[in-house]
Parts: sequence; structure tokens; C-alpha cells
Amino acid sequence: MMEPGNVQRSTPNVQRSNAEGASSLDVGRWTLDVERSSERAAIFIRDVSLTFPGKRLGDEIAVLDHVSARVAKGEFVCLVGPSGCGKSTLLNIVGGFLTASSGEVLVEGQPVHGPDPRRIFVFQENGVFPWLNVRDNVGFGLRGKSKEEREKTIAHYIAMVGLTGFEDAYPRELSGGMRQRVEIARALAANPDIIYMDEPFGALDFITRLKMRADLVRIWQAEKKTILFVTHDIEEAVQLADRVLIMSKRPATIQQVVEIDLARPRDLDSPRYLEKRDEIFRIMGMSLRVGETLSV
Amino acid sequence: MSFRKTLLITAFVVLGGITLLHGALNLGWFAPRATTASGAARDKFRVGFLPVTCHLTCPVTDFINKQTTGGSNFDPVRFHGWPELKEAYLSGYTPVTFILAPMAIALREQGVPIKIVYLGHREGGDVMVHKDSGIYRTEDLRGKTVAVPGRYANHRLIFYRELKKAGMKLSDVNLVEMPPPDMPAALYSRSVDAITSGEPFPGQTEMDGYGRALYRVKEVWPGFISCVLAVHEDVIKNRRAEVQALVDGIAKSGKWLDANMTNRVDAAQFVSKFYYNQHPRLLEFVLSKPPDRVIYSNLKPLRANFEEIEQLAKEAGILQGTAHFDDYVDTSFAPEDDAVQPHPYATAQR
Amino acid sequence: MPRPALRTAHATTLLSFALPVGVGVMFLLGWHAAVRISGSDLFPTPVEVGRGLLELARQGLLLKYVVASLFRVSWGFALAVAVGVPAGLLLGWYSRGFQAFNPMIQIFRPISPIAWIPVAILWFGVTDAAPIFLIFLASVFPITVSSIAAVQNMQPVYLRAAQNFGLSRGELFRQVILRASLPQIITGIRIALGVAWLVVVAAEMIAVNSGLGYLIIDARNAGKRYDLVVAGMVMIGVIGLVLDLLVRQLEKFDEVRWGYARR
Ligand SMILES: Nc1ncnc2c1ncn2[C@@H]1O[C@H](COP(=O)(O)OP(=O)(O)O)[C@@H](O)[C@H]1O
Ligand SMILES: [Mg+2]
Repeated sequence: MMEPGNVQRSTPNVQRSNAEGASSLDVGRWTLDVERSSERAAIFIRDVSLTFPGKRLGDEIAVLDHVSARVAKGEFVCLVGPSGCGKSTLLNIVGGFLTASSGEVLVEGQPVHGPDPRRIFVFQENGVFPWLNVRDNVGFGLRGKSKEEREKTIAHYIAMVGLTGFEDAYPRELSGGMRQRVEIARALAANPDIIYMDEPFGALDFITRLKMRADLVRIWQAEKKTILFVTHDIEEAVQLADRVLIMSKRPATIQQVVEIDLARPRDLDSPRYLEKRDEIFRIMGMSLRVGETLSV
Repeated sequence: MSFRKTLLITAFVVLGGITLLHGALNLGWFAPRATTASGAARDKFRVGFLPVTCHLTCPVTDFINKQTTGGSNFDPVRFHGWPELKEAYLSGYTPVTFILAPMAIALREQGVPIKIVYLGHREGGDVMVHKDSGIYRTEDLRGKTVAVPGRYANHRLIFYRELKKAGMKLSDVNLVEMPPPDMPAALYSRSVDAITSGEPFPGQTEMDGYGRALYRVKEVWPGFISCVLAVHEDVIKNRRAEVQALVDGIAKSGKWLDANMTNRVDAAQFVSKFYYNQHPRLLEFVLSKPPDRVIYSNLKPLRANFEEIEQLAKEAGILQGTAHFDDYVDTSFAPEDDAVQPHPYATAQR
Repeated sequence: MPRPALRTAHATTLLSFALPVGVGVMFLLGWHAAVRISGSDLFPTPVEVGRGLLELARQGLLLKYVVASLFRVSWGFALAVAVGVPAGLLLGWYSRGFQAFNPMIQIFRPISPIAWIPVAILWFGVTDAAPIFLIFLASVFPITVSSIAAVQNMQPVYLRAAQNFGLSRGELFRQVILRASLPQIITGIRIALGVAWLVVVAAEMIAVNSGLGYLIIDARNAGKRYDLVVAGMVMIGVIGLVLDLLVRQLEKFDEVRWGYARR
């Protein structure tokens, strides 16, 4: 049914949106030129579906339904969608921690066969090792490097995430935001081409989250990494991304892609920013009139 | 210091330190070694025994040997219970052991190469009741709780026979099996109405003033035997001279114990102190009050005695009756009683 | 209203000593009174037990026995750790291995060390090796089982992070699986040390002629020396407490402290 190089539609989700009373919204559709984009893409996802076995035998939970997407080299892409729609699942497939039921994922032109140190994952649950201090955590991906190089790299990235002075601290002695910084530093120190981030700031308070976002953008600009960033927070996506991929509810597909062509650093009060934000809200079937809730 | 380092260093220090301490305090590693001038000291066999009067000749012989010749030709090994004593024999750790006669016979029936070469004692052991109880005859035990030792104890077998003689069945009394060391406390606290075992435990209740003998076992079975000296057949085959020396030594110390009361009081002292770790008063009491409570003469194994034991044990269902006197006894080491002279040790000392 | 005086750190530490000591004193008084009131002359009062301990100490036996018991427990327990932790890590990690061995472990686990006494004597005679073997058996299963559980309950995120950094199998075991399971393993080890110390009485029922377990059994043979029986019990209890306090020190290291609920 789906041929390579052709159009993908998100028909089922349009219907669902309608059913939920957002019929006035035009969710639209986006096309993808598969042949051309796969060459330049850092990440290339085509027709990926995934079904989990359900609780009872024979039961199946369809989580991803023919998802296609691409992320260009050096691009900062956010993946948003309602909670439980399959964002983490998709990111785990791309990261090599899960295998898709069907479809294909190419990273830097190669099919994914499992996790790879050239692409580091920053986990939703915070994957900093609690038994290592900050220094050893950041240096974890630097096994095999010379001692001086190791120390230099560690110091560099600890400084970059603003944790100088905390080298000997253990994660339990740090705040949630600091732990998240350690994990980002650990990812950067390993010098990967791509960083996958799964709601890394989800557990942080509002102010910390804002600061972390600003820092992440600064670091990304300095390091020129490709970042695929999962969040359920629309504001976050608009603040961070070059492009936002919007996922539908389960079984999820990419509903729409929104370019955020705003200069950085972004002014969170500018009409263009608010426009983009509201556009995504509309696409996701949310009306701002309902309340002042900013995240789904 | 890191966790790993601390752990390794601690483990090393603890294991090393405790090993050295144990070696120094309990294994005598650093004690000046007794010069093995005697030569034979290297290869002595171990003799298993329990701290009971039935095995008294074992420590007495060892002690006298050490006093007179500066060394012993065997190593006494003290156990705390029959199962461990038996298992150590089976494992070959103690190729010579003091053991209950029916247990030795049962082992023989089960194919264990064991031979009885000498007796441990004759007589000793009572049925004890609380002194304030109204129990004066075996018949009075009807419905009462009686503590008996393990199944191979002759005291148990003879108690069964007395019940039968009194026209009672086993089910007429409430029998509980109990290690003899626990019996005095059980009688004292009246958790049982009567106890029976070998000495010194019944004697202890008498000495402490709450026990009264319902009857002494010797009254119903004069000259009875409970424990014997048994030897592995390989040792008999390969080390005849040493076994002979051991038996001779035991025979002489038996006679020595029975020679006069001074010797017995003496033995009570050194055995309590160096071997049994009991209060000397207890051993002195059982060895002297009455003086013939336990006897250590006339210890050559006799066919008639063992046939009686076999008979009793068969009736109680603990022996098959497939092994007989000639299978499990080797009389070739035992001297005739009148040929045994008391050890000159005490007379020489005094 | 909270009383501020009691809230100072100094008062709190004082209280944390005073409370258990108070309970201990109450217990001793109750014990003494109970013996006096019942008029038992078999069961000793705390004073008699104290005198018994002094007597043992003066004879030099107390030190000898404590050393002997600690020697057996140390070796039996060290061997159990050396076998149990690696075995637990492997079985916790390789589910096939777990399937294969777990039923066997569960069969052996509930067997009391007392039941093993004959085996110990038959294999090792009445040397120190026999009680060491019994203590080993008593503690190796709790250690193995808790190590298995520690690996199986490990937070998957640590594993995924490690996989992401491309660790070899050996590195994975040493740097992640072991480290992530360590807090729970140490808890298991603490429990197992309690068990090892618990079975010292049973293990020394074998004819070894030293040790606190031996003291108890020997005192039973010695006629009316229940003061020494209780003295042995007291020593076992007190040393057990000290051992537990020592092992607890392990939990304070940064490498494992994260694994214990903070208050
Ligand atoms: N291992 C699994 N087995 C079964 N269902 C799963 C599993 N992992 C996730 N799911 C389900 O898949 C859906 C998507 O999960 P997830 O990708 O974590 O969502 P989110 O978009 O919030 O990250 C959820 O409904 C979840 O319950
Ligand atoms: Mg998620």
C-alpha cells in the first residue's frame, strides 16, 4: 500500500481530531520525498510500525502506525505528542533499544542494529550512574582515551553545563537539574554525532526548565550536533526546535511537521513565537480558550 | 579510601588476623612443639568419647599415660552426642571409639567394619523420679512422662523390659526422647516425671537433692553393659600392637579406678578439669556414692552378656538379629580379668 | 509545642544512645526479677551470668572461644561471599542460567545447617573445616538469592545507558551490573552475616573443642552451669550486634549510599 517515495497521509488521526470537536482545524498533510532526503538525512525513518503484545494472549496494542520522518545533519528536531502516544517508543527504536515490527530506520545511511556510542541517548528517567561522581559520570564514555585527554574533555564539558566545582559530588547530592546537566555533559563528552533526548527536563521545575532549554540551545549551537528531542511540552518544542514533528494519539503517526523559523535566542513574547505555538496547539486539537494550560 | 579498597583491605586484615589469633590461641601454632623424640607421636589414632562416666577409662588412661610416660599413645576426642560420635567413626576420623553396644551391633548389621574389643564399664545409670513425687514402683509411672535417651541406649531397653515385667505396655507411659545432659533440668522443672540414662546425669539430680532413684539399673540387670570400646577392622588388621597397648592401658586404668576411693577422687578431679569440663563434685559424687555405682573391672566382653543385649534390642525392634557375637566382637585383645593389675600410677604418686 | 532543647543535634545523639540502653537496663531488671520471683535456682540471674563471663575471661577461655567462633564465621562467610556474589550476578543476568539453577537453589535453601551436620562430619571429620562448611552453606544461599534479585531489579535505565556507551561484556558486569546491584547485595550480605553468626551454635555442635557454640553445648554437659549457657548466648548476641554495626559501615560509602532510602 505504501510505496517508497510517495505520500503518507495521516487519515485516521484526522478523523479522531474531528470526533473530538476540532473539526474547524485543517490538520493538513505533509509529503516527503524519500529518495532525496535519505541521502542527506542524519536520521531517516520510513513506515515504522510497532505493536506491543497486550496483557492477554492475542491482545495487541498498536503504538506506532507507519511513521515516517527525517532529521537532517545538525538539525534540532522536536517530537511532540500527547502522553502515551509512542514518542519514547519511537525514540527507542531509532536509538536501537527496540526493534520495529515493520519499517526501517537508517541513521547516517546505515540500518540501526542496536545502541551505538556514536549516538547517545539522554533518558527520561535520568541515566546518570548514582555510584559514580560527576567527574566519572562525565568521563564514562571516554574509556580508551589517554588520561590527559580524558581530564581535559571532562573539565571542558563540566564547565559547559555549568557544574565546575561539583566534580567530586555524587548524583544524590545534586538537584534534579544538575543531574540532568551531568547526563548531558556525559553525552557530549562521548562526542556523538547525534543526541537523542527523551523528555530530559520533564521532572524539573519551571524556572530550571527554562534555564536548561537556553543552555541546551547554546550548547547545541557550539557543538553542532544533531538532536532529536522528545517532549510533550509544546512551549518547549517551540523554544528549542528547528522543526517540530507532531504525533497523533495512539496508534501514532506523524500528523504534521511545523518549521520554527525563528531566530535564536528566541523572544517568548514575540507574535511569531506565539503564532507558532498556537498553530501546534491547533494541530493537536487543543484550544487555548479552554484555559491557560500550556502543555498537553 | 574507595569502597573496593576498603573492602579488600578489611577482608584481608580480618581473615588474616583472625586466622593468626585462632592459630595462636586454639591450635597452638606458635607453641614450642613437643620434640617428637618418641617418634610414634606422629601417627596416633584418635579415640572418640563422650563426657559420661561410661567412657571414663578413656580420659583416665590418657591422663595416666601422659603423667607416667610424658605422652599418650592415642588422642582422645570428645564429642557431645552420639550421632556426631558415630559419624566421626564412619568418616574414619576416629578409627577407635567408645560407643553404645547396641549401636555398634547395629552398625555391624549394616555392614560397617566395626569390632568390639573391650567393655567401657559395667553398671551405672538409674531411673530417677522427683523426690516429692508419689512414684515408688514402676506401675506408678502409668500415664506419666518419662525421658529416655536415644534408641540405642541400653538404659532405654532395660526400661522397656521393666515396664513389661510390671505388666505395662509402652503406650502406658508417655515417652519423650531427650539428650541425657538435658534430663536433670527437665526433671527439676517437672516437665518430665522420670528420667533414665547413664551417669552422671541421674547422679546429678541426686546430688542436687531433687532426684530419687526409682531403681538403679544394676538392681534389675546386674553387671550390665552400656558402652564398649570399638575398633575399625583395618586398624585391628594393621596396627595390632597399638590396639593391644590401648586395651591394656584401659584395662589397667579400670582396675586402678576400682582399686581404692583415693584413686576415684583423684580421677574425678583431673577428668573433670582436663577432659569433661564439669564440676569435680559431680563426678566425685557418682564415683563414690555409692562406690559401686559404676564399675570398671571385669571388662572382657562375654558372649552371654551380648546375647542378652541382642535379645532385648531385637524385642525393641532396633536390631535385626543378623549379626552375632563372633561377627562384632574380637576377644583376642581383652586380657582375663584376674590377669589385669591396676596401673601403678597412683600408688607410685602417693 | 515542640521542645527546642530536645531538638539540638547533641540531644538527639544522646537520646539515640539512651533509648536502647534504657530498654536494655529494663530488660536486665525484668530478667533479674523474674528469676528471683520464680525462685528458680537453675536459671541464672544477670549477675550470675556476669560472674560466669568474668570467670571465663579470667581463664582466658572467653577470648579463645570468641576468636574460634569468629574464625569459623569469617572463613565460612568469606567463602560464601566469594561464591554467592558472582554466582548471583551471573544467574541474575543470564535468565537461562536462572531457569536452570533456581529450582535447585530453592531446594537447597530451606535445608537447615543442622541437617547438614552428618554430611559435614563425614566429609571433613571434626576439623575446623566442618563448621566452616556449615556456616558457608547457611550464608551462601541468602547471598546468592539477594544478588540474583539485585540484578533482576536493577533499573533498566543504567543498563541502557551502559549499552549505549558500547561496553564489553566484562565491563558491563564490573562497571554497571555489579555497581548497580551493590546496595542490594550488601543488604543481602548483612542479612547473611546474621544467619552465619546464628548458625555458629549449631555448627560448633560438631566435636570442635572451642567456640561460643561449643561453650553452650559444653556448659550443658557440665551439669548445672546454665550461667555459662546464658553467658555464651549473651556473647553471641553482643558480637552479632557489633558485626552488624560494622557491616553497616559499608552502607555509608558513596558507591552504595545512593541505594538506601534517605530520610
Ligand atoms: N513494553 C511495552 N509493552 C506494552 N506496552 C507498552 C510498552 N512500552 C510502552 N507501551 C505502551 O505504548 C504506548 C506508548 O508509550 P510511550 O512510547 O512510552 O509513550 P510516550 O509518548 O508518553 O513516550 C503507551 O500506551 C504504553 O502503555
Ligand atoms: Mg515517554
